[in-house]
Amino acid sequence: MKDILAEINEAPTIQTNRLPVITWRWLKVNEFQLDDFTMEKVLPYNKGCFTAVPSGNIDVKAMAENIHYLEAENYFKNKGNIGVSDTFVKMVDTFYNTGAFIHVKDKIQDPVIISYKPDESNPMIMDKNFIVAEENSEVTVIIDYTSIDNTSALHNGLTKIYAKDGATINLIKLQDLNDTSINLDSNIAYIGENAKANYVSIEVGSDKSVVSYISNLEEEASESNLDSIYLVNGSRTLDMNYIMSHIGKKTLSRINAYGALMGKAKKTFKGTLDFKKGSTLSKASEEEYTILLDKTVKSQAIPLLLCQEDDVEGLHAASAGKIDEDQLFYIMSRGFSEKEAKKLIVESYFTPIIDKIPLSSMREEIQNIMNQRLMDV
Amino acid sequence: MEKKQKTYIEDIDRGIYDIKNEVRYSYKAEKGLTPEIIKEMSKEKNEPQWMTEFRLHSLEVYHSLDLPPWGPDISEVDMENIITYIRPDTNLNTSWKDVPEDIKETFDRLGIPKAEREALAGVGAQYDSEVVYHSIKQELVDQGVIYTDMETAIHEYEAIVKEYFMKAVPPKDHKFAALHGAVWSGGSFVYVPQGIRVEIPLQSYFRLNAPGAGQFEHTLIVVEKGASLHFIEGCSAPMHSVINLHAGCVELFVKEDATLRYSTIENWSRNMYNLNTKRAIVDKNATIEWVSGSFGSKVSMLYPMSILKGEGARAEFTGITFAAQGQTLDTGTKVIHAAPYTSSNINSKSISKGGGVAVYRGVVKIAENAHHSKSTVTCESLMLDNASKSDTIPVIDIRNDEVDLGHEAKIGRISEEAIFYLMSRGISEEEAKAMIVRGFVEPITKELPLEYAVELNNLINLELEGTIG
Repeated sequence: MKDILAEINEAPTIQTNRLPVITWRWLKVNEFQLDDFTMEKVLPYNKGCFTAVPSGNIDVKAMAENIHYLEAENYFKNKGNIGVSDTFVKMVDTFYNTGAFIHVKDKIQDPVIISYKPDESNPMIMDKNFIVAEENSEVTVIIDYTSIDNTSALHNGLTKIYAKDGATINLIKLQDLNDTSINLDSNIAYIGENAKANYVSIEVGSDKSVVSYISNLEEEASESNLDSIYLVNGSRTLDMNYIMSHIGKKTLSRINAYGALMGKAKKTFKGTLDFKKGSTLSKASEEEYTILLDKTVKSQAIPLLLCQEDDVEGLHAASAGKIDEDQLFYIMSRGFSEKEAKKLIVESYFTPIIDKIPLSSMREEIQNIMNQRLMDV
Repeated sequence: MEKKQKTYIEDIDRGIYDIKNEVRYSYKAEKGLTPEIIKEMSKEKNEPQWMTEFRLHSLEVYHSLDLPPWGPDISEVDMENIITYIRPDTNLNTSWKDVPEDIKETFDRLGIPKAEREALAGVGAQYDSEVVYHSIKQELVDQGVIYTDMETAIHEYEAIVKEYFMKAVPPKDHKFAALHGAVWSGGSFVYVPQGIRVEIPLQSYFRLNAPGAGQFEHTLIVVEKGASLHFIEGCSAPMHSVINLHAGCVELFVKEDATLRYSTIENWSRNMYNLNTKRAIVDKNATIEWVSGSFGSKVSMLYPMSILKGEGARAEFTGITFAAQGQTLDTGTKVIHAAPYTSSNINSKSISKGGGVAVYRGVVKIAENAHHSKSTVTCESLMLDNASKSDTIPVIDIRNDEVDLGHEAKIGRISEEAIFYLMSRGISEEEAKAMIVRGFVEPITKELPLEYAVELNNLINLELEGTIG
């Protein structure tokens, strides 16, 4: 631990979320630089994390040293880059202070719900989550990171997903830490033959949020879908690094990211579709749309398309702009104020993704958070 | 699985480009890079003091900069082994009759004198480090248009050269810009006075004959208010077993309401490192149009940049890259929207085959003050086999909310449906595929002057067998 802390505390800046293929340095998009970041030690998190555990052929336990699933552990050990940075991943992998181990053996109807809620006495979340789905099993896991007071929290999380042949893992994450917190979230998946990893990522909080999702589509017809919505206001920063790595044949992936920027918000979206040699007949698509709500926002998008295979189809589109004036005018003509109309339009981009959440209470919670954050539109 | 027959698309026929001449020179610098070599070269060229100093300063900058950590591997470029200056054994001529026979034959084979007679208003021809031929139609001279080699310009139009030289691309921009500042030689200077519309294109052709040498020509074009110009640049070299280096620099100044189209057909040999820097500063309501074809070289790093400095300035970029075996062509464009109501339109296509690597690398940056700016980017890549590689690395950076930006990129194979549709119309399978590949590059060929479009179509020879992709 000393080594890791020294590495972090002695570096003037810490490089995170490196672009898989780097480009011009003056653009400052190759890495997200975490400046002035120091930490003394990993503080304990003394709260439980399970809000709901479904019945059925599924094991759900708090993460502990004696928990092993060697096949998956060996796989991730040899995988190289699996998150926001080697150092932060190593830190949580070794010195986690909470986390969940979920082992699914069947199709499980109800979701596993996990909540990490930092507060004054528990300001640090180092959650190591490990989801293993046996062949043809299915599970939905919801993880909620929400501040309940004004404590500046640090979240450094690692979620490993291991979906064996024919399995489906749905992972839904909500990040609404307060505006003085730091969020570092690494998610990595192994996806077997005909297996699926589907993510819904809702990013609305933290002063600095650095998020990484990596899907390794290893076998024939592996599939991964990532639906991401974000709202960045104030002087907050969001850096996303999404990588779909097509290794097996006939693999499928899709990234849809929609977001809105307000105030002095800064957002960087890095989305990579990577067709490795051998990924014949694979298909991938990526779409990113950012609504710019203030003239002081900064929006960067780097949609990479890497290809070493000829018989594949890849498509990416990124766009950005103001709210459509005609749409705005139309809604206002129906008796809404400009503010309300803008809110409605932004929400209309998010609703299809929010609707993918199977829990009505959580959908409402997200609507409320959005409403709050959109107050200064 | 049944093995699919792949369509084999022939390499560009390099025949005429690969004929090399015996190296004859009147002055050749030592290999390597020292202040002495540079002072000697500047003296040999009889340059004013400020230029000698500029070169020495650039050399210092060169030593202070590192190689880029991104992009293709260029560690093989070792300046200790590159001859930076070779003066061919002839002076600048204004008639092809005075150009030495072997050099003239080279340009004949490349079709330059013929194009000059038929389609151009002026021609410059550079052979190794110096321009050997320059001419311009009298009617343009009468209108005040200047088209000459840089060596002449630095003496006859010193004030203009001094005002603009390496102002768009300062030596500290990157290592090879600094190298260029230190050892540049040759290139063309064009000045189009206010309001003059040059209807027929001017063309400069750069030929590097000597093995192990570098070519560092400087092209400086100023198009004054309301004027217009189409400039064509061609480059080639014969194949050698040692590496050659091209680190040219193109600086374009497009003034208010002016239009400049800058077309390039680059066909360097496969031992060439093409590390060229091109940049345009575009004033109010002016337009820069880049048409760029990259076919040759071992490694290319080429990203023409448009700085839209004046309100309403426009940039268009149309590029095609064809990377075959042994080639890494890392190309694209950079656009900086630095004023309100500016617009850019980028259209890039690439084909890779036989282990070739084609990379689109680009950036569109919209600055804080560039409200009401618009940008559209479209990148399409075609992979002809799985030994090749194709990457798209675009960066979009927006700093205000009044923008309209769209970016789209596609990679894929030739659609079976399209082939089937054409076949249902009575077209043979082979012909259908040929049509589709030609259709893929058509948006580019239609931007080229006719004779180049024909050449490009000839370059992409199709030998069809089985299916594509």
